[in-house]
Amino acid sequence: MNIVRPWLTIAAASLLLSGCQYARLLRPKVLKQLNPRVVRLVNEFPEIDKPNEAIVGRLFAHGGLSHAREGGDGVFRQRISVPKNQYMWYPAIITMPREGELELEFSNDDVVTHAVMMPSDGERQVLFLPVKQAGKVRVKLGQPGLYWFGCPISNHAGRGMLGLVIVKGETPAEARLDRPKQDRP
Amino acid sequence: MVKSLLSCSVLVTALLGVVGCESFPKHPVTQSQKPFNEFVENMPGRAPDVTRSVTGERIVRARSEPQNWLTYYGAYDGQRHSALDQITRDNVKNLKTAWVFQAGVIGIQAAPATYSLEAAPIVVDGVMFLSGWDGYVWALDAATGAPLWRYRHAIPLDTPLCCGNVNRGVAVAKGKVFFSTLNGHLLALDARNGKLMWEKAFADVRAGESATAAPLVVKNMVIVGSSGGEYGVRGHLDAFDVDTGAQVWRRYNVPKPGEPGSETWEGDSWQQGGGTTWITGTYDPDLDTLYWGTGNPGPPFDGGARPKSNLYTSSVVALDPDDGTLKWHYQWTPHDVWDYDGVNENILFEQDGRKLLAHFDRNGYLFVLDRTNGKFIRATRFGKVTWGDIDERTGVVTPRLMPTKEGIEICPGPAGAKEWTHASYSPQTKLLYVPVIEACADFKLIPHEFKEGMAYWGGEATVAGKPQSGYVKAFDPANGREVWSWKGQSPMVASVLTTAGGLVFTGEPNGMVDAFDARTGDLLWQFQTGSGIHSNPVSYSVAGKQYIAVPSGWGGWLEGFAPEMYGASRGTALYVFALP
Repeated sequence: MNIVRPWLTIAAASLLLSGCQYARLLRPKVLKQLNPRVVRLVNEFPEIDKPNEAIVGRLFAHGGLSHAREGGDGVFRQRISVPKNQYMWYPAIITMPREGELELEFSNDDVVTHAVMMPSDGERQVLFLPVKQAGKVRVKLGQPGLYWFGCPISNHAGRGMLGLVIVKGETPAEARLDRPKQDRP
Repeated sequence: MVKSLLSCSVLVTALLGVVGCESFPKHPVTQSQKPFNEFVENMPGRAPDVTRSVTGERIVRARSEPQNWLTYYGAYDGQRHSALDQITRDNVKNLKTAWVFQAGVIGIQAAPATYSLEAAPIVVDGVMFLSGWDGYVWALDAATGAPLWRYRHAIPLDTPLCCGNVNRGVAVAKGKVFFSTLNGHLLALDARNGKLMWEKAFADVRAGESATAAPLVVKNMVIVGSSGGEYGVRGHLDAFDVDTGAQVWRRYNVPKPGEPGSETWEGDSWQQGGGTTWITGTYDPDLDTLYWGTGNPGPPFDGGARPKSNLYTSSVVALDPDDGTLKWHYQWTPHDVWDYDGVNENILFEQDGRKLLAHFDRNGYLFVLDRTNGKFIRATRFGKVTWGDIDERTGVVTPRLMPTKEGIEICPGPAGAKEWTHASYSPQTKLLYVPVIEACADFKLIPHEFKEGMAYWGGEATVAGKPQSGYVKAFDPANGREVWSWKGQSPMVASVLTTAGGLVFTGEPNGMVDAFDARTGDLLWQFQTGSGIHSNPVSYSVAGKQYIAVPSGWGGWLEGFAPEMYGASRGTALYVFALP
């Protein structure tokens, strides 16, 4: 009994502190999405699952998901790093709850120069990232939807340095259609 | 107890290290962003203030300043005719490339085959304003092609599109450049530097709407149409104040229950009724009437989901520009089940003192109406048609072939006997010149439920594997007679431009720019641009020199008329020609 209790405490605490992400993987909704063909691909060709965590298996390199946080000035912020020998953004998918300004701090922990090209209303924004240096880029994303960003150097984007900003939300009320609410998928 | 807690903490800390308490590398923040357009060599970021004096009143008199191309069709009448006559039938053989503007793109694209450079460049006193796909607008020196400024809107990847990732052009007035973004925002840019002045959302991407049409400035309003007829939207036209961007009116083309025309819908079918406005309209300032084509009903191929005639889809609506109210309408294809739309241009011209309107519909018929009241005058078949017959004297429509569950060949295909690209009327020859598609399709009925934001076709039309060709044809609107015809290798899908030099210009999917004798149809000059032409050529002059500008860049809804040309060379160039 004395042995079991601390382990339960540890397991519960670690699940709580890690945001229960691993436990949530067991939800039927998530399990249903496990594509056996993707699993087979990764099992049979483990070498293509490196160096940046399943670029082929999942199409886009996956540095994971994170939510930009809104500052007191109304600007959403997040930090993104470039790990060594990975050709990927970490995290790679940034969400915003609505349209607005997004400021990303990029830090290059790799041994080669990178850059980031970000979409922004008005013009794309370019940020160069020399080795072991960091920089900030602020963009305006004025509409809900998905926006990609990438490293324009060599073919780093093709090898995994593609990221995504997901701007959630609906079209402004004044632009919506005058009709009863419709079924969605 | 203390010992137990201590060991527990150590274990929790160790576990956290494993489950992802990552650290962010601390490197000095030394770098700052730079707008991508600052990497363009010698682009000053400013243009002469040429559009300040462009107003609705000045556009009414656009014909009096042939050096400029002030509005989408060159003038409100939609004739796409230039009064410039420096380039003639005799000297056109000497035309040379004056300059080329390469737009280019960077990075990944969604469905590259759908991208196409389709715009009509606008030219005002030596400055050209050109739009491209993915939210690009450029100001160029119209004499040299040197870029002056560039604007690029961020377009979400997941914007729902019917067909092509395209933009058909900008409008200018009072120091502003107006254009609609793919995801349905109307933008007003400062014409001097490309900076955003105001922005309005006018289409709902979550409901499947998008926007590709060039806006039209009328009086002190900018009027803009939207797309989404393949997503079961309720099509509309919107007008905004030029100065403030405040919405002046919105008109829906599918009536609600109880409104005029609602008797042509059953049940709730009006809610997904279509009738979008994705091609720019024309305007008669004397009659103070706006003429706008409307798109297909929704779903395009499944008429069983929407019995009756489905007003005001696949029609022309004549509107009061001040409030968008309907003066009259004419439905080109009642109860359209072939996706023929009715959006093609309505060309305004005079004949024997009568104010007339000519319209080449995708259903394969050229219509001539009295534009004062919408009265039918005549119809003429201009392409290969098997879907039905329209009595050329009375306009009575007799449908003959409908989509079936098994599939059935019907002509023309879903892009019609003429796509959205425009015909031209020459006041010099008093003839109409039209690009024609000759392609049939297998139309199959596939009824399915509607879900907002998802495609709602109710069937499919397959052109692949069938012969495809095209023509440029000249018609006399006085009697509907075909005057000449020139056969191209492929469907002809570039707008036609006529000039007072007695010439007809257009382009081909194989990249050729062609110049014909307007009287005979003789091919007088060609130039290979390297990529197919699916755009709006225009003419203008600077310092007394006449130019012909032709956007070249193949793509669009190719499965609708030339699916075998998906692999053709891509491009994004504006070719500008002049005499040496």
